[in-house]
Amino acid sequence: MNFRIVTNLWLIPAVPFAASLVILSLSKARRKTAAALAVAGQIAALAMSVLAFLPTLQTNNFRVVQNFTWFTFGEEVLRLGFVLDPLAAAMLMMIALVGLCIFVFSIGYMADDKRFTRFFAYLSFFSGAMLGLVIANSLLLLFVFWELVGLASYLLIGFWIERPSAAAAAKKAFITTRIGDMGFFLGMLWLYNRSGTLLFYDGGTGCLESAGLALLGASATFIVLLIFFGAVGKSGQFPLHVWLPDAMEGPTPVSALIHAATMVAAGVFLVARVYPLFSLGAINGVTSSLTVVVWIGVTTALMAALIAIAQADIKRILAYSTVSQLGLMMVSLGVGGVPAGIMHLLAHGFFKTLLFLGAGSVIHGCHGEHDIRKMGGLRRVMPVTFFTYAIGMMALSGVPFFFSGSWTKEEILHATAHWPRSHAPYYLILAGIILTALYMTRQIIYVFFGNARAASDRVHESPRVMTMPLTALALCTIFFGVVLTSAWPWLHAYLTGEPAHFEITRLIQPMFFVSLVLVSAGVVLGIWMYRKAGAQARDRPAEIDPLEYAQPALFRFLANKMWIDEFYGRTVIAFSWAGARLSDWMDRYFWDGLVRGFGAVGQLFAMFTTSVDERGINAGVDETTAGTRGLGRLLSTTHSGQIQIYLGVVAIGMLALLLLYAWLA
Amino acid sequence: MSYLELLKLASTEAVVVVTALVVLAIGLTTRREATGVTVATAQGDQNVGGSSSARTNAICSFIAALGLAIAIGTALMLPRKATLFSGMLVITPLTSLFKIICMALAFFAVLLTKSEKSLRHPGEYLAILLLATVGLMLLVSSEELLMIFIGLELLGLSLYVMVAFDKTDVRSAEAGLKYFLFGSTSSAFTLFGISLIYGMSGITSLAAISEKLATVSVQPLLAVGIVMTLIGFAFKIAAAPFHLWAPDAYQGAPIPSAAFIASGSKVASFVVLGKIVLVGFAPLHGDAAWHAMVAGWSPVLAALAALSILVGNFVALAQSNLRRLLAYSAVAHAGYTLIGLVAGDREGFSAALFYTTTYAITLVGAFGVVALVRRETAGDDFSNFSGLISRSPMLAGCMSIFMLSLAGIPPLAGFFGKFYLFSVALRADAGHGLLWLVAVALFGSLISLYYYLIVLKVIFVDEPSLAIASSPDHLSPDLLQRIAVAVLAAVVLFLGLMPDALAAGLLAAMP
Repeated sequence: MNFRIVTNLWLIPAVPFAASLVILSLSKARRKTAAALAVAGQIAALAMSVLAFLPTLQTNNFRVVQNFTWFTFGEEVLRLGFVLDPLAAAMLMMIALVGLCIFVFSIGYMADDKRFTRFFAYLSFFSGAMLGLVIANSLLLLFVFWELVGLASYLLIGFWIERPSAAAAAKKAFITTRIGDMGFFLGMLWLYNRSGTLLFYDGGTGCLESAGLALLGASATFIVLLIFFGAVGKSGQFPLHVWLPDAMEGPTPVSALIHAATMVAAGVFLVARVYPLFSLGAINGVTSSLTVVVWIGVTTALMAALIAIAQADIKRILAYSTVSQLGLMMVSLGVGGVPAGIMHLLAHGFFKTLLFLGAGSVIHGCHGEHDIRKMGGLRRVMPVTFFTYAIGMMALSGVPFFFSGSWTKEEILHATAHWPRSHAPYYLILAGIILTALYMTRQIIYVFFGNARAASDRVHESPRVMTMPLTALALCTIFFGVVLTSAWPWLHAYLTGEPAHFEITRLIQPMFFVSLVLVSAGVVLGIWMYRKAGAQARDRPAEIDPLEYAQPALFRFLANKMWIDEFYGRTVIAFSWAGARLSDWMDRYFWDGLVRGFGAVGQLFAMFTTSVDERGINAGVDETTAGTRGLGRLLSTTHSGQIQIYLGVVAIGMLALLLLYAWLA
Repeated sequence: MSYLELLKLASTEAVVVVTALVVLAIGLTTRREATGVTVATAQGDQNVGGSSSARTNAICSFIAALGLAIAIGTALMLPRKATLFSGMLVITPLTSLFKIICMALAFFAVLLTKSEKSLRHPGEYLAILLLATVGLMLLVSSEELLMIFIGLELLGLSLYVMVAFDKTDVRSAEAGLKYFLFGSTSSAFTLFGISLIYGMSGITSLAAISEKLATVSVQPLLAVGIVMTLIGFAFKIAAAPFHLWAPDAYQGAPIPSAAFIASGSKVASFVVLGKIVLVGFAPLHGDAAWHAMVAGWSPVLAALAALSILVGNFVALAQSNLRRLLAYSAVAHAGYTLIGLVAGDREGFSAALFYTTTYAITLVGAFGVVALVRRETAGDDFSNFSGLISRSPMLAGCMSIFMLSLAGIPPLAGFFGKFYLFSVALRADAGHGLLWLVAVALFGSLISLYYYLIVLKVIFVDEPSLAIASSPDHLSPDLLQRIAVAVLAAVVLFLGLMPDALAAGLLAAMP
């Protein structure tokens, strides 16, 4: 079969981009056209992704690279390119599919918004940039798309700009990730300086191929840590995780698409993409840069899971869960389990989108309420949302066997347990799994079980256009597990480029029992702790969380997100403010004086030249033409002598040039 | 050489000339009909005449556009290299490329003509526009001074008429007169300069002149010849201080004429100016480096460039009419482009041509937006553009692409144009001798950002004035013209994202 798309990969991001541009130029009233265009663009992108995916199945280690010259200056040739390999193809499929579900869901969710068309323009723009990011074959091109998704994220978090909190969250997200991007950019420059190319694969001379890697030497560790800092910012890893929970101020479909399934996973994807740089000079699969990745990941995973327990906002809980899961993926990459990390990324993309859209459906039904303590008993009124949400919850917690999330988690556990350097990450992750099951159980009990509370009034199930994507994603969540099982680890084999074998005896691995025990422990603990949540129990008032009642200090510590924001406020931000005030003072009293001085000179010059042009020369001609009616009189007045000024300039100009020539000669 | 072969090689020009004649004939015949109808129905003459003129306009523009499209097709089939009449006309990859570019620019100017209601004789107008296009093609495809002069005159005479064509507007007449007087004076200088050069070298072919001049010692008369030749081109590209015609011509002329002067005429002039100085005057290059100025044409062009950048940008700051603003910014852009020629060599020339081509595309697009806004609001002052975003997001978006590209903001074509020019200028001399020129240009770009952003502020932030908001002629969907503007905006964006698509082609086509 001849797959044209493989050599024209740029079309995949180009179509959503084009859709976005067209939607932007529509007037606000064309709501249906806007949604139709966006969905059509996404369907086209999905179709092309499938077409690109098919040929990667035919051969192992499939990789097609297409490089082109971006521009040339002197001897330097700057080249960019696109690459299609199993990693890119798998990401394309996930992004396009999840994106499509979210686009459809948004039609219902944003139905009453007055900037409906603008929303779809931004979504399409994001989708194009994200699809471009995963097929970039150049660190520079990847960085361009990386910044574009950052821009889309900024625009969409602050979509309801009239809310001060949304505007603040957008700024926070933009600036925090920008700190990470600074590292990324420096790392990129350093890499270019050492290897002379930013292409990943270029027939043996790319920076990820042996010839390019050989040029790096010892600087590779620092380069790659700088690049990793960009991934830390984008993927909400400690210490730059603070923007992600605040980003929940954006519309829920945005949270699902950008801040759960795709963009935040870009950091993990980046690490996987430049993995040869990380593992350069590895002894037994361990390098110092990878060790950093592991510990950052472990810290993030555990910290975020703890904080999630004490949150009351339905979306914030999911946001911290995302942070925690991204940490888990980083751990997996760090210990060498690249396929496991990517598989978890893909599975997480499906079930976390499902959870977010479910949360969106709940919020939509509860007329905008976010606080889980005010909900309760929703399972009877919102059955579809409840069932799909429960599926997502079980996948996220890692309930074994039936859900995709469990298979990937087992693989991660397996990889982590065999890390030669230390066993601590393994045990910490085990704790993280219990916590995950615990906070998800808490959330489900609060929202769907128990007595109906304040916000459960007049609740309705969401319209079909919203429940259909939920069902589709729930099915994806379950059936995606088929290619993940240890009996037929097809995806693992696909990513590593080995043939997959079916072997039923491998279905049950030791890790199966480990995770079964852990998840059961978490769920049981959750049920025991929160069985009476939301209702009055003994001397505890109904609105107090059981954990808060038992451990007020601990709960406050967690509910306030470990006071990390406050810590940054007192240190980094206070320092920036001081710097800003100093610069402000310099600007007002020093630079401004200079600029005003220059400006005055410029103004004088402008006034002079304008008056010469407009009054001196033009006025002569204008006066002769003023009041004239026809060409004949105009011609006759040219004899008045005024036009000679006009032509005199030509003569003077020529004389001046001649003098210049003569003076130099 | 047989005439058949000649016809084959000159088929592009022939097609355009034939189209011009056909358009002229149609314009004349339908006009007679229209007059007849007017006589018959004395009462509704205005009405009937108007609709008939609109129909003539539509037919003529369609034929003109079709003719240009066919001519572009024939240009694509030209051989790679050929010489006619011992260098009077040559065919090289460069000339073929610029013939196509000039015809494409003329094509868009024709599309702009379609909505120009003030043109009462569209047939004649379009015929003259096509003849001017032939002038452009002669200019770019000649390497012989006499032929170049004929091309200049054909172009110039056509443009004088095109500027003064709007007989209902006194400003059009004024602009036409100024353009004519200024242009004919410059032509006189150029002709005198050419004759001096001929006197010194005894030949008019550029390559031969170069050989002759290499052996001649520097004489005052030669300097006069060179400077005078350059002046004619300084006038065509509106470099200061030979730019005084530009603001009136841009503002007063019918919009297609202004767009054509700002685009096609400029591109062709730069191509031929580059050929003359880099091929013909090659031995008298001189040096414009600040620490080692040597007499030659390059310090002269450098002085023109610096003066154009400063004057154009400063005066543009004070404008409140968009077309005048574009005129002064055109002066500045001519200055930037000259930097490429001053830097010399193939790379400098190709950078200058890249810049002028992208600039021409951008400006035709900007004039397209001006034309559409002018149709709706009957004016092109800033106040007519206020709140354009709420009236037409598409036009506002395209205009912002054009303005930001002119200001040199990435990722638009204007950014790479400036990038190539400045980097070529910096690398042209080992001691960074042209740094002073680049510094002036950067300073100028900084200033220019201010007035381009003012335009965008007017479009995006200002409230539409009451008169415009209540204007009943609100929706006049001229679909074709809107598509043309969108296509041009897409080209500007594309050339910004993929500059190599044009730049590599230019560099490869360089002699």
